[in-house]
Amino acid sequence: MLSALRNSLRRLMRIFRKKKQIQLGFYGPVNAGKTTLANRISLDWLGREVGTVSEIPHETREVQKIENIVVSTNNGELRMNIVDMPGIATQVDFKSFKAFGMSEEEAKARAREATKGVIEAIKWLDNVDAVLVVLDSTKDPYTQVNVTIIGNLEARGIPMIIVANKIDLPDAQPSAISSAFPQHVVVPISAQTGENLPALYEAIQKHLA
Amino acid sequence: MEIQLDFISSDMLAKKGSAEKISFILSRIKKNVIIVLEEALEPREETELIEASMREIDAEDFHGIEFFRMDHRAKSLREKIAEYISGRRHGMTIVGPTRLIEAIKREPEYISMLARIEIPDKEVEKRHTSAQDAEKSTRKMKKKS
Repeated sequence: MLSALRNSLRRLMRIFRKKKQIQLGFYGPVNAGKTTLANRISLDWLGREVGTVSEIPHETREVQKIENIVVSTNNGELRMNIVDMPGIATQVDFKSFKAFGMSEEEAKARAREATKGVIEAIKWLDNVDAVLVVLDSTKDPYTQVNVTIIGNLEARGIPMIIVANKIDLPDAQPSAISSAFPQHVVVPISAQTGENLPALYEAIQKHLA
Repeated sequence: MEIQLDFISSDMLAKKGSAEKISFILSRIKKNVIIVLEEALEPREETELIEASMREIDAEDFHGIEFFRMDHRAKSLREKIAEYISGRRHGMTIVGPTRLIEAIKREPEYISMLARIEIPDKEVEKRHTSAQDAEKSTRKMKKKS
């Protein structure tokens, strides 16, 4: 009951205290394209990439912060700090990394770092103003990890947009994400090609800034 | 390999605080038990469960958890008020170690869980031999008839 009251207060505060610069967290499951999106935005507006991307799960194992991004939209300037989080997972098995040619020691070290990354990402939930939940449009959106992330943001009163990423791929079904989470704004994009990113910036300005 | 399922009543869970509940769940799961809770975990409890299981992961024995929650959405105002006052979310949560739960498929109306039963080699051999024996005796019976 106390937490419900705290969240209501948080929502009220947000209405009266519009920030000039928002702290925007990128959350989502592993390999959804969070870092690809962070890189794309950073490259477009700061001229540099920030993180490495890989097909091997848990490539991002530490929180990466990109500060002072100023995006020009049709409705003016959008100022934000991006916090690119490690992917949320409920399991980490070092053997899955060995399948990508890693030695046992390398795989175990990566698994240890990955578990720390998940914990760090969860802790950061208390420090973001708004969130982009980045999901892979080619995968079933109705997983427990996705439900848990979105449920947490709802419970904490943190505004969010769901990004249906990878629409450049032939199997992409962004409409499945809209159907799974009809109560939220869903913006289909391709972080890889940059398709529909202007619509994402407009949505951030309208719903999160 | 046998699979143990423990059904935990909401009355038992109501006596536990969040931290105690998470530690109870994890201790059961680490003993290779799949547990069914007679309540829907709160989203914050779910992240606490993920966080706690990440701390427990070790390379050899424990690789994490699989879980899913089914909510009973309060329909009437009375139900909503009762849930709000009690703080208890009606529904169900199933949690198990990832080595036992192969896959979970969620649909809006139902959830399907596929459990993995790792049968020891000796048991596979025994079953294979008894299947061959059964086949042989069936053939004999057919010949006689």
